[in-house]
Amino acid sequence: MKRCFFLLRGVLTLLVLGMLVTSAWASDALMDRMADFDPSNPVVPKGDTIKIGHLNPFSGPAAMNGELYHIALHWVAHDLNKQGGVMVDGKLKKIEIIKGDTMSKPINAKKAAERLILGDKVDLLWGSTGSHISLVCQQTAAKYKKIYVSALSISDSLMDAENFNRYTFHTPWTTSQAAKSLAYFYAKRPEKKFYILCQDYSFGHALAEKFKGYLKEFRPDAEIVGEDYHPLFTKDFAPYLEKIKASGAEVIFSGDWMPDSVNLLKQSRDSGLNLPFANMYMDDPITLGVVGVEGSAGLVNANQYMINDMDPRTRELNKVWNHLHDSKWEEPYNSSLYVWPLGVVASAINTTYWMMDVVERAGSTDPEKIIATWEGDKYNSFAGVLEMRACDHVTVRDTYVSEFSHPAKWFDNFSYIDKIVTVPSYVVEPPLPEGLDRCKK
Amino acid sequence: MTKIWIKTLAAIILIGLLIAFPKVMGVLNTNIFIGFAIMALFAVSLNLMLGYTGLLSFGHAMFFGLGAYTTALSLKHIDNLPISMALLLGVLGAVVCAVIVSPLLVRLSGTAFSMLTLAFGQLMYIVCLKFREVTGGADGLGGFPVPDLKIPFTGGIDMTDPVNFYYFAITVLGGCILLIWRFTKTPIGSVMISIRDNDNRVDYLGFHVPSVKSLVFIVSGGFAGAAGAIYALFQNMVSTDGVLGLFTSFNPIIMTIIGGVSSFTGPIIGAGLLTILEEFLLRYTDRIALFNGLVLILMIKFAPGGIMGIWDGVYRKWFKRRTLS
Repeated sequence: MKRCFFLLRGVLTLLVLGMLVTSAWASDALMDRMADFDPSNPVVPKGDTIKIGHLNPFSGPAAMNGELYHIALHWVAHDLNKQGGVMVDGKLKKIEIIKGDTMSKPINAKKAAERLILGDKVDLLWGSTGSHISLVCQQTAAKYKKIYVSALSISDSLMDAENFNRYTFHTPWTTSQAAKSLAYFYAKRPEKKFYILCQDYSFGHALAEKFKGYLKEFRPDAEIVGEDYHPLFTKDFAPYLEKIKASGAEVIFSGDWMPDSVNLLKQSRDSGLNLPFANMYMDDPITLGVVGVEGSAGLVNANQYMINDMDPRTRELNKVWNHLHDSKWEEPYNSSLYVWPLGVVASAINTTYWMMDVVERAGSTDPEKIIATWEGDKYNSFAGVLEMRACDHVTVRDTYVSEFSHPAKWFDNFSYIDKIVTVPSYVVEPPLPEGLDRCKK
Repeated sequence: MTKIWIKTLAAIILIGLLIAFPKVMGVLNTNIFIGFAIMALFAVSLNLMLGYTGLLSFGHAMFFGLGAYTTALSLKHIDNLPISMALLLGVLGAVVCAVIVSPLLVRLSGTAFSMLTLAFGQLMYIVCLKFREVTGGADGLGGFPVPDLKIPFTGGIDMTDPVNFYYFAITVLGGCILLIWRFTKTPIGSVMISIRDNDNRVDYLGFHVPSVKSLVFIVSGGFAGAAGAIYALFQNMVSTDGVLGLFTSFNPIIMTIIGGVSSFTGPIIGAGLLTILEEFLLRYTDRIALFNGLVLILMIKFAPGGIMGIWDGVYRKWFKRRTLS
């Protein structure tokens, strides 16, 4: 009996040691591959490559978004290129990223997408922030029969019966998942007076409508004490903040993304309004650093990925990324925004690995082969299992919510993610689009 | 006689080049050319007011935008609407708008006229932005059906095909530019120029200046609406920033100034130059407006007559002297 116990202990010790060695080796492998990664001057292979058109704003008030996702795409490209590339059409091909500036305007987005498809002859299009911009990109991609990976915008309407097309795959979470995650979180909380402040375009309105609906479902006694929509890229939030102060709200619900999220949070704290924001994009370290520990305490952030060290792959990613940031990266990637691979950036990295995995399994950049491979596909990512729903090309996934507190593991100078509440995919599964024949069984 | 032959030959060569363009230059350049042709018509329509009548409008985008929105909305909401009708409705929308606002504008001139057009343009922009249930707000309207062009006895021509659309757009836009050119050659065209030079004298001669200004305003608005309608069909997308924004009003002004205000072809050349400049610069930078501004400053400083002014100078200096000698 005692011998058996010792034997078992020995085996277990060996197993643990083995795992540690494998993990260290894997970590070193990623470190080796990424050691020369410089997002400010990425290595762009030429010749017979897989060309990915990156559609995002690279100029104008939302240019920061282009910069943010530029690093995500190049991270994946660099990593896979260092491994030799991706096997398509019987040979290993490297990945080439080509920028297309949408300038956050629908018409510029269309021109940029056409230039990438017709001029640069890209194999896939990837983008874009702003659901109205993303819609133009997916319509243009469908016109020229190119795959468009809608990786950033989250409106449900992008893949509804009116806008669905076979060439678009929606990899991030959706408006309904985001709204439901936050409503689910507030079901067990004492706050019940909400003020809605969103951006005045399809996404902002859709998000607000969904949140109101789900709040009624999870928290029937909750009250919406006010509702406002501000133009995109508003510089002065004072009129909205005054109304919120007078409304008696306990929580401000906002789906604002940069730069609006940044300005809104800063200005609210400057004006003495210290209410918590139930949000999706107020997790960037620059803004949080400005508002400090108290200004960021109590913010409730919902996201499709939250930085953690629970999965060996995320540990590895965090370690390598942080090391490169501290030792190597230059402007603008040496700022506090890029200390860790956070929320949307890490999520973009995650789904880009999925996209390239699909391309490799399809063995081709032929849109029809990619469609056949990706529909119904399940991918075990570092942000949980992702499933591409076959009928409407929407990703089914777990989502996460956290209330910022201090001290937090990742940052010292402001409150940040502490306990993460996982909202399981069966709770937040996006509703099937009404009227889409493909989804009728 | 020789001159007529040269002109006829030049026209035949031009038409031949336009027909061959998509085959030779590919779809991307064809699309760029359509974009240029739309802006050329828009700028030429503006120049009817600016160059010919001396009225600087900072709100010309309201006609362009109304043409675009009317066409987009009619295609979205009216089943089986022929493309020609959608186009005409776009023109009509712009004309109606011009008829409504012209009484408020035509008795003004100079800064007051410019500022009031700017105000109307911005008013239209805000109305479309806020009336999101109809116009789509900041999201714009996209994905509306673009019907086939129905020609009797030939069946329909697919207008979603970029090459087919190119021939349709170039025919319409070219036709509109020719009509504007004919309009400037009518007696009204002469009165317009007289108003620009001295409206008091035109008044003493017995012409009712506000009526002429009103007519120019409506004609100019109608053709800007036609450009907007083609734009909507071409992009299959209209958005407030794209068709009603401040820069949509400024662009034809910049094009006209760069090309030459005092010439009919100036705005077309200006549109062409800025299109080429944009396509060239986009390979290196996204700061297009910076370069456009720089070109504008240089033009105003060193060649206030625009490219056509430079050409006139060169022509007078070299060709006329040679002819005399």
